[in-house]
Amino acid sequence: MSTQTIPMPIAADSPSSFAAPPDVTAPLKPASLPAFLPGIALLFTIGLLGKLLEHAFTVLSTEHHLRLPQISYVLWAILLGLMVSNFLGVARIFRPGIATYELWLKLGIVLVGARFLLQDVLHIGGLSLVLVAVELALSLSVMTVLGRIFRLPPKLTSLLAIGSSICGVTAIMAAQGAIDPDEEDTSTAIAAILTLGAIALVTFPAIGHSLHLGQQAYGMWAGLAVDNTAESVATGALYGQDAGRWAILAKTARSSFIGFVVLGYAVYWASRGQAAHVRNKPLFLWQKFPKFILGFLAISVLATAGFFTKGQLNSLASLSQWVFLPAFAGVGLRTNMKDLVGQGWRPLAVGILGEMFIAIITLGLVFWSYNHGVAR
Amino acid sequence: MATPETNRPAQPGTGHRLPINVDLLAIGLGLTLAALVRFGVIHQITF
Repeated sequence: MSTQTIPMPIAADSPSSFAAPPDVTAPLKPASLPAFLPGIALLFTIGLLGKLLEHAFTVLSTEHHLRLPQISYVLWAILLGLMVSNFLGVARIFRPGIATYELWLKLGIVLVGARFLLQDVLHIGGLSLVLVAVELALSLSVMTVLGRIFRLPPKLTSLLAIGSSICGVTAIMAAQGAIDPDEEDTSTAIAAILTLGAIALVTFPAIGHSLHLGQQAYGMWAGLAVDNTAESVATGALYGQDAGRWAILAKTARSSFIGFVVLGYAVYWASRGQAAHVRNKPLFLWQKFPKFILGFLAISVLATAGFFTKGQLNSLASLSQWVFLPAFAGVGLRTNMKDLVGQGWRPLAVGILGEMFIAIITLGLVFWSYNHGVAR
Repeated sequence: MATPETNRPAQPGTGHRLPINVDLLAIGLGLTLAALVRFGVIHQITF
């Protein structure tokens, strides 16, 4: 997670802007900051509607004894976003604001630092770092081998390996400037990673329940195995509130490696004369480091130092959940099924096989650490 | 060879970018909200 700028708003001047899939080839014009407001309003509306639907289903089940499925607000928000983007279409006027889902996601992660004492962050975060290091080495190797077996372009293989081992789309975007891939390779890798994230939203909670995983173990697994930060947080939250926050901790530990992996690939492709040389490596690492993690740590330090009362900590945790609502809505809104199925079968096959491997390996690592008392 | 970053076409779905640092904005908003909660401007939030 190191994308550090908000996409510039697109001028909403076209009356024919109600097309379902975003027209990525359309020329983009700068617009004023108020252009963000419609999309932000849409994100919050969908998120709040998800929360209301969860409440309504609970009330109908308990007070009127109706047999309704208990669907969490996380899933409602994602499903409503998916329905809007795929069936109704997202008007051009909403798109700049929808892109701010990343801000709400990062703000939620910063605020959720209030739920972690620093010793928990150091213990579980430290364990996550070890698990991430193992996961990184294995997933990068496996994705590279799979890319060669399926004869993918080498840079597309690099992008898929980076995206699946670190933090999805953001890692791919970070690598884009460093290894100079073709535009098509970048688009394909992003589409594959988003597809795999959507699959994880459905499969991970089901697997977690069938294996009777605890909240912490499941959250660690979701944080270690699901690529994109938004999907990772959502996959954790779908299992439970505690699982959601442990997924955030594991995911932030994983994201902190982004600079090192991208730097490694940049050096590799530069040595082959197919990318620019990185002159200042420490600066490169700092530029790629996801700095919102520092905010998460700052709130955690303040919480540990007793800066907040227990009631205030609960308020901050609640605030983080409110802020996550638009982020979850954004996950659904930016997922376009037509884009996902139109990417060709080979990158997706490499992604699915690689992700299955990563999911199994990380599940094994989490099981091992919990059965040997490494985690608590 | 790599093309300069400024000459690249926009990536799919991302468009051009404002010079707003999302990470720093998230940190700033987070610390501001934390201060508002700490000093009683915002209190008793439930979800």
